Amino acid sequence: MSRRIGLAELPAYAAGSRLFATGATESSFRLTLDWARSLAGQGVELVAAGELAPGTRCAAVTLAGSMIALSEQLPGGDEPAGAVRTLERGLGEPVGAVVALNLAAENALIPLIAAATLDVPLVDGDGTGRVFPLVEQTTFTLAGIGAAPLALAGASGELVLLDTVPGRVEELLRPLVLAVGGWAVAACYPMSARDLAGAQVAGTVSRLLEAGRPESARPSAVPFGMRTLCEGRIMAVEGSPRRDTGPSLPSLPSSIVVEESQGLRRLVRLEAYNEIVLALADGAVVATTPDQICMVSTRDGAVVDVDRAVPGMDVEVIVVKAAPVWHTERGLELGGPRAFGLVL
Amino acid sequence: MILGVALGRPTPVAVVVRDGALVAIVASGAHRARAGARAACVAVDLAETPMAPVAAIRVAGRCPAVLGPMAGRPEVPGVATIVCGGHRLTGRELAPLDTEAVRRFVAGCGLADFAVTAAGSPAVPDHELAVAEIIAAEMPGARITLSYESGRPGLREREEDTVRSAALRPQAARIADETARELPGLPIYFARTAGGLVSATYFCRAPLVCRLGGTASAARGRAALSGDLSPGAGPPEGTLRDGGPPGWEHAGSGPERAAYLDAVAAAYGATLTGPVAEVERIVRARGGEELDRRLREIRDEALTRVVSAGAAPGSATVTASAVNPLSFLPDGLYWARITATGATP
Repeated sequence: MSRRIGLAELPAYAAGSRLFATGATESSFRLTLDWARSLAGQGVELVAAGELAPGTRCAAVTLAGSMIALSEQLPGGDEPAGAVRTLERGLGEPVGAVVALNLAAENALIPLIAAATLDVPLVDGDGTGRVFPLVEQTTFTLAGIGAAPLALAGASGELVLLDTVPGRVEELLRPLVLAVGGWAVAACYPMSARDLAGAQVAGTVSRLLEAGRPESARPSAVPFGMRTLCEGRIMAVEGSPRRDTGPSLPSLPSSIVVEESQGLRRLVRLEAYNEIVLALADGAVVATTPDQICMVSTRDGAVVDVDRAVPGMDVEVIVVKAAPVWHTERGLELGGPRAFGLVL
Repeated sequence: MILGVALGRPTPVAVVVRDGALVAIVASGAHRARAGARAACVAVDLAETPMAPVAAIRVAGRCPAVLGPMAGRPEVPGVATIVCGGHRLTGRELAPLDTEAVRRFVAGCGLADFAVTAAGSPAVPDHELAVAEIIAAEMPGARITLSYESGRPGLREREEDTVRSAALRPQAARIADETARELPGLPIYFARTAGGLVSATYFCRAPLVCRLGGTASAARGRAALSGDLSPGAGPPEGTLRDGGPPGWEHAGSGPERAAYLDAVAAAYGATLTGPVAEVERIVRARGGEELDRRLREIRDEALTRVVSAGAAPGSATVTASAVNPLSFLPDGLYWARITATGATP
C-alpha cells in the first residue's frame, strides 16, 4: 500500500536519515532539508518496488562527492531533475520511479527532491542498507546490475552521461565530480522495477520514517542489529598527507584514537577512508567493514564525522551490522576490508 | 587592577578586580573607579531587535529562492543580491567577479552597512576583498563586514553570521563610544559569547562574537564566586574580603537585587579571561612540509589577530588547533582551526 512523504512526514524522515549518517555536514544537511521542504508540499508517493509495474524503469539517485563542497557551492536547483533527464536521454526511455542509493542524511533527501521535481514515486528501499563511500559498493552491484550508464549534474549546469563497464565507474566518476566543483547529483543503476525488487535492501525508507519519530530509539533504525564497541574520549586524530591506497578511494586515510573511559580502558584505534573501515582495541581487530562503524557524540547524540573529529570529544563507538548480503563472499570482496586496501 | 563593567542596567555596574579578586563594587558609574586601572573589561548582551538594515551581497552562483541570501530571516531588515563570482574550495574561480553588478547594487541599495559573503572564501577570500574595495570606493564610510574573517565552511551559515554581525555594528559602535567616553584613555575590552575578550575596535567590526557576552560573563562570574550570588545570599565570599566589598550595600532586595547580583557577576566574569582569536581556513598542501608551512601561516594569522584583539604581544600563544583532511575532495585539502589566546596588557 502506497503512502506519501510530505511536509508532515519530512521531519521524521530527516531525523531518521541522520541516526547513522557519516559524511554529512550540518550546513549541507540544512540546505538540502530546506530545499526538500520547499518542494514537499504535495508529498511524494512512497511505493514498494513490487507495487510498480515490473517493467517500470527505475534509477538510483544520490549525491556524489563532498558535502563541504555542497555547503559552499549551493545547488542551482535543477541538478536532480537534470541528472535523471540526462539518464533518460541516454536510455531512450523515461524513468518511472527513483530509489535512494543510500539513506544517509543528504542522500535520503536528494532522491526525495528528485521524485518531487519529476513527479514520480520514491521506492521504499535503498542500495546499501547503510552507506559506503563508493558508488559501486551497492547491493545492486552484488545483484549484477551495473551503475552505468550514469548521468551527472553539477551545480554550474554541467550534464555528463557516463557509460562504461562495471568496475570502472568509480575511477571515471571521481575526477568528473571534482571537475564540476566537488559535488554533483548522480542518476545511475537504471533497472526495471522487477530487478530492483530483487536487488535492493527493502523497506528502509519506512524504517527510517519510523526511527525518526521523536519517541523512537536509535536501534529501531537498524534492521540487522547494532552493538556499542566502547565509550571514550578522542585522544588523537591523524591525517596522512600521502595517498597509498590507489586512485579509486576518494580521500586520504586517517586514524582516530579513542581512549575507553570505563572498563578495560582500552585504546581503540579507528582507521578511516571517509568511513571508518577498521576498529582495533589494544591492537586486536574488533570490527571491520562491511559493518558500519561510527562515532556518536555522547553530548548530543550526533554522529561525529571523521572530518570533524577533534581530540577531547567524548564519543560512543557503535557498530551497525550490515545486511546479510554484505557478509557473503562477493559482499566482502566489494565492501569488506580488502576493498579498502586492508589485508587482515 | 582591572575594571569589570556590566552594561544593561540604567547605570552600569563596575567592579574592581585585583589579582583575580573582587575588591570593590561601584554601582553608580564606572568612571568613579577608573583611577589606577590598567584596563576595563565590558560585559554586555547586544539586543537583536531592532537590528540595523543590512545590504547583503552574496558572491556565488544561482540557487533556489529558498536558499537565497537572508531567505527566511525576516528579523534582519535590508536588501540582498547575488552577484556572479566566488571560488571552489579547491581554489578554482567559479566565475569572474561581476564588478558592475556590485557597483549597481551599492549605488542603489541606500544602506551603509554591508555584509559580503563569497563562495569558497574560507579557501580564497579574493572576491570578498575585491567587493569591499568597490564598496569603499563607491561609498566612503560604509561599514563592511566580510565573511572570510570567520572562515567557517558553509556558505549560508557564514552569510547568516556575517549579516547578523553587520546588523549589530551600529549598536556596537554606539556602545563602544559611550564606554570610551565614560572611561577615557583606558584600554577597553569586550567579553565574547564563547569566552575570552576582544578589543573595542574588534568589537565594533565583528560584534556577533560578543552578542551574549553579558550572559556568558555572568555565568563565569557566578561560577568563580562559588555560587554565592543567589538572590537570597549575603555578600559573596571566597575571593572577597570579610563582610563583602565596598558597594555591596547597593544590592537592594527582590528582583532588583537579583538583577544587581547578575550584573556584579557579569562584570567580575568579564575580567577573568584574556583576548582570544580563532581562525578557520581551508588549505591546500601537497605533502607534509607544505602543510606544516601553511599551518604555520595560519598560526601566525591567529597570533596576529589575538594581538589586534588586544593581547599583549608577548603573551599571545596558540592554545588549540585541529586539522582534518577533507573527504571526497582532491588530495591535500585540509580544514584547519586555530585558536590563539593572550593576556591584557
